[in-house]
Amino acid sequence: MTEARHCDDILKAAFPAVRQNDPVCAKSSHFLVPKDLLPAITHYIHTQPSLRGRLTLLWACDHRPVRDTYGLYYLFTLEASHHWVVLSTELAGTDRLFPSITPHIHAAQWYEREIRDMFGLIPQGHPDLRRLVRHEHWPKGTHPLRKDFSWDCVLGRQQGEHRFRHIEGEGVFEVPVGPIHAGIIESGHFRFSVAGEPIMQLELRHFWKHRGVEKLFEEQTLIGAVPLAERVSGDTAVGHSLAYCQAVEALLHLEVPRRAKYLRSLFLELERLYNHLADIGAICHDTAYALAHAHCDRMKERIMQLNDRLTGSRFLRGVMRVGGVTRDIENAQLTEIVEELNRIQPDFSEVGAIIFANASLTDRLETTGILHEQTAWDHAVMGVVGRASGMNGDLRRDRPFAAYDELPVNVALYRYGDVRARLRVRGDEIQESIRLIRELRGRIPEGPIANEPSCSPNPGDWTLAAVEGWRGEILYMVMAGEGGRIHRCKVRDPSFVNWPAIQWAVLGNIIADFPLINKSFNLSYAGNDL
Amino acid sequence: MFRIIKKSLKIGVVTGQYRKAEKPAVSVAPEVKEKARLFKQSLAIRAVDTGSCNACEMEMNALLNPVYDAERFGIHIAASPRHADALVVTGPVTVNMERALKDVYKQTPDPKLVIALGDCAINCGMFKGSYAVTGPVDRHIPVDLRITGCPPRPADILQALADFRQESSVDS
Ligand code: SF4
Repeated sequence: MTEARHCDDILKAAFPAVRQNDPVCAKSSHFLVPKDLLPAITHYIHTQPSLRGRLTLLWACDHRPVRDTYGLYYLFTLEASHHWVVLSTELAGTDRLFPSITPHIHAAQWYEREIRDMFGLIPQGHPDLRRLVRHEHWPKGTHPLRKDFSWDCVLGRQQGEHRFRHIEGEGVFEVPVGPIHAGIIESGHFRFSVAGEPIMQLELRHFWKHRGVEKLFEEQTLIGAVPLAERVSGDTAVGHSLAYCQAVEALLHLEVPRRAKYLRSLFLELERLYNHLADIGAICHDTAYALAHAHCDRMKERIMQLNDRLTGSRFLRGVMRVGGVTRDIENAQLTEIVEELNRIQPDFSEVGAIIFANASLTDRLETTGILHEQTAWDHAVMGVVGRASGMNGDLRRDRPFAAYDELPVNVALYRYGDVRARLRVRGDEIQESIRLIRELRGRIPEGPIANEPSCSPNPGDWTLAAVEGWRGEILYMVMAGEGGRIHRCKVRDPSFVNWPAIQWAVLGNIIADFPLINKSFNLSYAGNDL
Repeated sequence: MFRIIKKSLKIGVVTGQYRKAEKPAVSVAPEVKEKARLFKQSLAIRAVDTGSCNACEMEMNALLNPVYDAERFGIHIAASPRHADALVVTGPVTVNMERALKDVYKQTPDPKLVIALGDCAINCGMFKGSYAVTGPVDRHIPVDLRITGCPPRPADILQALADFRQESSVDS
């Protein structure tokens, strides 16, 4: 609390023109800022040593038909206290311009381009105003998240080519990869500029898989949109649906029973386990270490089959609901889980020891794809990738949700930022998840597994919720509309933030190491493209 | 190296340790059976993701793990459409992927099979009607086999792929 007042005081003292508003959720402050002041105040929050705010989310909202304005919202997480600071500003009437903060804060780059595409608001001073989500063949003036754009309209097609950044010079050539890849990989385009083997530049071109998820949310009710949240990124069904449910519960002032909170943590850890096991296997696979890959995949498959037995879904779909969870896990099943994990743990520890003792593997992994701590900070990188580059953040510890206030988490942290560090973080987190599940079984209370919502929120109310999924921080901003519907839902998968960082991590590496580096990030294309 | 070989020997064979699929009713047109007959021994698949949520991809990846081991049925993943016998398409076809899908179809040599994997590829699933989705796969290219599920379990995929080619050989 004192922390909060401390940061509020600093901001108000430095910028008397800002007005403080009611906070939108716990551990946060909300300020209304005049639009011209945005670059100065965001820069201040980002760089002031006592604040050191990391840009966590930037989103816009079309307030029509209630008010004829567009809202812009900036969310910062303060480094020391993990307190949230929301800055908001409004563009009234026909005003479509807002000052870009990208020149000071790299992390804003994609967010601002996204806002330009989706709302037609122009970030003035943005160094790169090429289209991001809307590929060049989308007709001019299509801005899907505006309220006067109908969700099911049919788009026309125009001529247009994407302009890649080129490096010119003797011996420099470009290697285009994708959007369809030579394996079972999602769609995305990578454009390498290389001179000989080393990569001089990588440019990403994503959003091939844009399905209009955020617009589809606006066609749903608050209670009914959980299945859609599960399908934002299929491998993070629990993370996304949990974050969504938490946001709606905050809007409905709905308390979740304690047993349900424990079960939510259980599902989240199971999701982390199978994904991390798959990733470790995949990293080994990309170094042609097929046996280790096979072992990891075998263990992953056992967890997925366990998920199937427990919930009827290998991806744990359909377990979350607003107010709690949909199915109870009996004590006998909890014992089954722990027994299965008791078998997997020594198995995994053995494989892990073999992997890390392998000199030729170490040779491939060490110093490959280094993401420096400073670059990670500049791009607000977090999650597994961040923790391998010294970004000490984990929402389970920093802003506890579900049952994590009663289940302290040991956060894995490495500083080298190479592929090996990312592998290490995953290995440590597998051990930690197994420990957490064991502890959880000992502590889980009896009781109901869901509460029914009793009230409906006022149109225009909004809130934020965050969950540490297996990739990192998943954020949902949900604004209520008329009659229990959704006015706006901003979805942010950690991939959206971490993708640009990969462009820096590959520099100077040989192109043959790119698949390995990419796998060690293992970001979601679906969650990024929405 | 010896440690991991020792471990593999200790673990033994895990292939087939999964719940068998209930035999899915795949109804295949006679001319498709005719085509599938060619691939009964070996099927090279090119995976095309046109906008899935990536769970369908994960299950396809699972086909290659030692538990399902699709290679024992002659199924493998080709690195180029030019080497492929079949396209497996996942997800609704997004506005941005429409061109790429048509291109990859053109680049795959005849005779070829198109398999729509998952509800999204068959009927767009939850994304039906969205401005960013142009329709299911069969709106753009002819589809030979549909494997339902959201996502289909690997056992179901394996069964469907086996049945599909099996039936054709029985007919002949
Ligand atoms: S069918 Fe289901 S699992 Fe497959 S891509 Fe669609 S939503 Fe995802």
